[in-house]
Amino acid sequence: MKARRIIAALAFAGTSALVSAAHADTYEIDGQHSWVTFTVKHGIYGTAHGLFDATSGTIVMDKADITKSSVKAEIEAGSIHTAFDQRDSDLKGPDFFNAAEFPKISFESTKVEKVDDKTGKVTGNLTISGVAKEVTLDVTLVNEAPAPWDATLTKAAFTATGKVSTADFPMAKAAAGFGLGPEIDIAIDLEAIKK
Amino acid sequence: MSAFLGNPMVATAALPLLLGIVLALLAQFALVSPSPVLTLFWSALLLFFYGDTLGPPVIPPVAASQKLIYLAFAGIVLGLTAGRMRGGRSMAVPGAAALLAAFLWLGWRRLAGGTFDAQMAAALLVGLLVIAGGFMLLAQPASPSPSAEEPFLAPAAVLAVSLAGAIVSVLGASIVTAQLLGSIAALTGGWCLVQYFAVLRGGVANAWGRSLEFLALYAVSTALMQVALLAPKAHPVALVLSALPPLVAALVPGPLGGLVPSARPSRPLVAGLLIAAPAGLAMLVALIWAPHGAALGY
Repeated sequence: MKARRIIAALAFAGTSALVSAAHADTYEIDGQHSWVTFTVKHGIYGTAHGLFDATSGTIVMDKADITKSSVKAEIEAGSIHTAFDQRDSDLKGPDFFNAAEFPKISFESTKVEKVDDKTGKVTGNLTISGVAKEVTLDVTLVNEAPAPWDATLTKAAFTATGKVSTADFPMAKAAAGFGLGPEIDIAIDLEAIKK
Repeated sequence: MSAFLGNPMVATAALPLLLGIVLALLAQFALVSPSPVLTLFWSALLLFFYGDTLGPPVIPPVAASQKLIYLAFAGIVLGLTAGRMRGGRSMAVPGAAALLAAFLWLGWRRLAGGTFDAQMAAALLVGLLVIAGGFMLLAQPASPSPSAEEPFLAPAAVLAVSLAGAIVSVLGASIVTAQLLGSIAALTGGWCLVQYFAVLRGGVANAWGRSLEFLALYAVSTALMQVALLAPKAHPVALVLSALPPLVAALVPGPLGGLVPSARPSRPLVAGLLIAAPAGLAMLVALIWAPHGAALGY
């Protein structure tokens, strides 16, 4: 009798896991339709804007239990641009993003929380120049639908916003010297292709 | 006062120049040269300028720029201990080994990345040249009756590397390291200025001593390595030329000795100009062929 109960419990647990896995969809970030942008205070004057071009990664979204979702993304540090070549090369240099030594900026989620049906909070480790710092992004699922031109292709669109500080990464001294930051506002718009 | 000290021109140029002059005056009038007290003063000032430009030490150091202050500290410890333990013997071998270790520590990520481009070739050449130059300069036996230029050889090499390194670095998009090298250049420049005045007045210039020669050379060499490895816009030819002064300094007592005039007051000046020649060329190359002209992107 006891053995039957154990078998039944195991069968239930296994089925639940399978159902849960069945709800988890995997999406590949569409680098051509992704915009990782940031703004930072420029001294006592205006706000500087920048953009990273090359983003890649994977999103696993579990619609049944959103807390089981995860994000893993990478950005090419050398793909930064701010509409001024000279500044771009300075930002790629060792004083800021140090692209020669650390070519990738990475983000790996550690916790996903549901706020409502379309929004959530994704906490994870953002690694810049080899230094990881926990950040929380407010994420919104904008839409998920088959592409109008190809019914077999399903895309999801997300926006995310968050804040980091230059003081947390090996750019603190240079950023302070040039009056940049310390707060950096991040705004991400990305599309991802369902696998 | 803090705004005054916060001014980059004060922190990078005026203050270290003044402190270099003060150290040289101390050496001229209050200390027996070469003095361990003088070496300690130099060490403390070097660490101060590292902290001021690069920020306080980060534990553990991850980026190459965070490793520089640790390397400076290691150079100081090695200079003070090995300099004393080895007595009159050369510090050339431990010095060259320490420079090689620094290059590998600073550049392992770049080296492991496997990319071999003009900048990587220049970085390898810079590493090789500073190791060879450091080895040859530190291997020079101390003369029982030193010539007028002998006390200037190592300081002139440090001044030339740091000055050229600062210009190449600032134009190569590595501003913070440029500030650090600029501080060391001004500090050494202040020292050399007073010592040369002493020679002009018929006196004798104070020698640095092996410990100080090693730790100062080590500091500027490792900073130049970092620029060569990581500054995205640093001109490869300018980088290689910036690494040559220690090698030239080592050749002044030998093959280049014939170019140094016999008139005593001119000897340090001509020797200094010979040592600074590749550094001058480096600055010229960096300024003329700066990727975006000589302006910064801020």
